[in-house]
Formats: sequence, C-alpha cells, structure tokens
Amino acid sequence: MKRIARLILAAGLIALAVWSWGFFFPAPKKIIENHLLKLARVASFSSQDGNFKRLSDNERIGSLLARNLHVVLDLPGGRNETFDNREDLLQAVMAARPVVKDLQTQFTDITVSLSPDRQSAVAMLTVKAKMGGEPDWIIEELRFTFKKIGGDWLITGLETVQPLR
Amino acid sequence: MPGESPSSRFWYWLRVAAVGRRPKRTLARLAVLVAASAVLFKFALVPIRVTGISMEPAFHDNAVNFINRLAYVRGQPQRGDVVGLRLSTNADATFHVLLLKRLVGLPGETISFSGGHLRVNGKPLEEPYLKLHSNWNVPEKTLGPDDYYFVGDNRSMPPQQHKHGVATRSQIVGRVLWKGNQ
Repeated sequence: MKRIARLILAAGLIALAVWSWGFFFPAPKKIIENHLLKLARVASFSSQDGNFKRLSDNERIGSLLARNLHVVLDLPGGRNETFDNREDLLQAVMAARPVVKDLQTQFTDITVSLSPDRQSAVAMLTVKAKMGGEPDWIIEELRFTFKKIGGDWLITGLETVQPLR
Repeated sequence: MPGESPSSRFWYWLRVAAVGRRPKRTLARLAVLVAASAVLFKFALVPIRVTGISMEPAFHDNAVNFINRLAYVRGQPQRGDVVGLRLSTNADATFHVLLLKRLVGLPGETISFSGGHLRVNGKPLEEPYLKLHSNWNVPEKTLGPDDYYFVGDNRSMPPQQHKHGVATRSQIVGRVLWKGNQ
C-alpha cells in the first residue's frame, strides 16, 4: 500500500513538473495559438463597451502585430481590403466599431507550422464572426504569418484563404 | 411486501429505474454504449447542423444531418453527391466547420456556367435537384487530376456571394447521410 501511494505521488509530481515546464516555457506553437485566441477575444466587442475598453482592446491588438504587416481580407459582398502597416489597420478597426456595433469572433481549428529555423510560422484557422443584428455567422479560413521579432511572436501577414478555388 | 414500508419500496423502484436490477450489468452495458458511440462518431459519422441557405431547398437552415466518413472508403465521389468539405487543404487539420456542397465536376473535366446552366466539357448538364432560378455566367475552369468542382443548389444569389469552386480530394470529409428534399 505504501509503495502504491509512493508510485502515485511520484507520478503526480512528474505530471506537475511536465505541466509546469509547459506553463513557464511554452513551445512556440502554443505561444502562437495563445496569441491567436487572445486576438479573437480582443477583436470581439459590444456596443456597450466604454471608450476606455475600446482603446485598451485596440492597444492589445496592436501589441500582437508587427509594425510592417501585410493584410488582404475578403469581406462579405465580394469586396476586399488591403493594409500595409499596423497603424492603418488599427485605425480601420477603430473606425469600424461605431458602424458594426457588436462583433463576436471565434477562432477554431488552429494549425501552426513552424519554419525549420523556428523564426517564422504560418497559422491556418477558421474564423466565425457574427455582427450585431445579423442571424448568420460569417465563416472564413484565414492564414496568419508570424515572425519572431525581439523575442516575441508577432503577426506580419494575414490573408483570407478561399477553401474553393 | 409484508414488513416493507411504502417509502422503502419507492426508493427500491427508484434505484431499479436508475441503474436496473443488476447495477454491474447496467454499468457494463453503459460502458459498451459509450465506447461504441465514441468510435461511431469519431470515425464514421459526423453530426452536422446546416447553417445558411446555399443548399436550399434540399437542405434547410438549421436542419440536422450526418456526414458519412466511410462513404468513399471503397468508391470514388460521384457527380451529384452532396458532401462535407473541410475548409483547410490540410487533411490532418481538425474541423468544427464544414462546407456542405454538391459535387458537379469530376477530375479532368471543364466546368462553366452559362445563362444559369451548368456546362460540363461545353455541354449543358441537366440538374433535376435545382428548384430556384439562376442566371449565372461563370468562365470555364479545367479540373486537375485530383480536383472536383462543388457548388450549392441555391444559385438565386450572384455567384460572387456563393461559395463555389474547386477543391481537392483530400478536402472531402464524406457524403451526407440523409439526402434531404431532392
């Protein structure tokens, strides 16, 4: 009985050590996945949000983006939008809030591929977005490009991927 | 039974209703059911809820169905099949969202739409499942050896607002189980 208890305790300690290592020294793929999930959270907003929250969310979005980034998005209705730097994108996000009012964003099926030199990565995911008053979710496939800049993984590219060519 | 109070009889029958007369057997049956369901819904059937109107009138918004992942284990996708397509071209990627579309073009064929009619290798193809008027004009696309052409049944909106086009064989998850109102 004592031996079994010791074995269970040892297994628990090993599991705790493995979990702690993953928590304090996460793998790049995990860091990128967490960044994307954070982006989905701060990209969601409600018409009841105050100005402070809006500015704070915009700043948090900006902290995930590289200064020079390239964004090409296919929007509903056949339009597409292109941005070539972080500031233009953040201004567009702030300008869209009074128009869109409510936005729910979810990122699912995230797949991250690291480059061989582990300095860049590509993440593919499915985005589900619902604007206030609309009954249907907009569903798109997105491709994010990440680069390790100053020790942090920042988004350097974003484009819509058409599942049907 | 003599000597038993109504209260104890009630608790006895409540226990029987909950776990049966032989709880161990009930537990074993439950374990088998859970395992069988896990295998069935992990490897064979994908439950789906239809969202949107692109497959009207065959498949309505909010309808429930299943994608049969084993449909093409011993066969190839055929024209007219309604299939679930993953959005990613990566066959190993997980999926919480699928596109539900009808297969209208096979590998090697040339697909186009003219005046709302589907044309395969330049010849018009009859589509008996189409119920809504369409006036699509879409230029020809030639399909590669691993390419299929997919489109929804509801072509009453402009083609730019409808997801249609070419996908590879690896994007096909399976065929819809219940064929809807065709």
